Amino acid sequence: MSVDDKKGMKELPVDIGISDDDIYAAMKDIQGYLDITPADLKEIYTLAFRHALERITRFVKANDIMTRQVFFVKRDTPLRVVAALMAERNVSGVPVLDDKEQIAGMISEKDFLTHMGTRDKTHFMSVIAEYLKGKDCLSMPIRGQNAEDIMTSPAVCVEEYTPVSDIAALFTERVINRVPVINHAGYVIGIISRADIVRAALVKTKTEI
Amino acid sequence: MLRNYFNKMRGISKSPPGVNFSEIIWSWLGAFLGISTVALISYKVLDSIGLTMIIGSFGASAVLIYGAIKSPLAQPRNLLGGHVFSAIIGVASYQAFQPHIWLAAALAVSTAIAVMHATKTLHPPGGATALIAVIGGESVHKLGYLYAVIPTAVGASLMLVVALMVNNIPRNRRYPEFWF
Repeated sequence: MSVDDKKGMKELPVDIGISDDDIYAAMKDIQGYLDITPADLKEIYTLAFRHALERITRFVKANDIMTRQVFFVKRDTPLRVVAALMAERNVSGVPVLDDKEQIAGMISEKDFLTHMGTRDKTHFMSVIAEYLKGKDCLSMPIRGQNAEDIMTSPAVCVEEYTPVSDIAALFTERVINRVPVINHAGYVIGIISRADIVRAALVKTKTEI
Repeated sequence: MLRNYFNKMRGISKSPPGVNFSEIIWSWLGAFLGISTVALISYKVLDSIGLTMIIGSFGASAVLIYGAIKSPLAQPRNLLGGHVFSAIIGVASYQAFQPHIWLAAALAVSTAIAVMHATKTLHPPGGATALIAVIGGESVHKLGYLYAVIPTAVGASLMLVVALMVNNIPRNRRYPEFWF
């Protein structure tokens, strides 16, 4: 059983950090004889916790945890404005909308880096490195361009009732850090980042378990 | 692989916490009243007409229904179902294989466990009830299937009534956890 126990722990998305002493203390809190060993009780607790987490992430939808105040840029927003906005709002990605207010793509820090003519196209430090070498015109290739020139399109989107568990899987699968949430009419109604998912899991597990 | 096999024998957990003093007292009181009920009826009333109300396995049931009252094994379904099914199996086993007591005894206990599992009525004293039907001597054998009713079913029911009355007196004790 110890083998299964360890395996169960490994599959947990978060470490619930319950110790043998916690279990023993809990058993002491319940007066009367319990015919179960502390190890079995711990295994049951761990499995139950995992079931609860699965249930929560299956039933919590994008709509429940998304950030609703999304700011966005248009296709023709100049990149210097996009960059300034991202810095000001302290975000690393932003949706790009077309004239009909529908989503056209996403712009992230990575899109800037890959279009700035660095050799290693994804790493921020390579930009620093080349800048320090004296190439002070790194931004030349994208100077004067607009959002639509460097955005990733089409954007990976989720719908408002997509379960959080699916969104978490999508992040891993597509190697992205945020997705816009669109309603059935195709309008952006929110955005979900990895941080939103972590926060939701913590809050929900605290209140529901 | 062999090392893993022997490693399993070392155990992985520690003994559960002990109970407090009041638990000990209530366990004692329940068992005293439960056993005295069936024993009194047995020796003061039924003895004269050649019947009995008490069998050895009730001592084991007392441990569960007065001393470990939260246990699934101690619940009414298990207490009654475990004793009655096992008694029937024990009598049937004796009557079918009776010249071969060793075989009747082994089949009685093993089949009783299997049936208790299958019916979700596992109650360890049931194994003893099945065994007593085989090795309990002439007084038990001549009862035939009546053994499943008196002493088994009626005796277990009386012990259950005492358990319901005594176990629910203290504030921090309750019985049963479930009925069926």
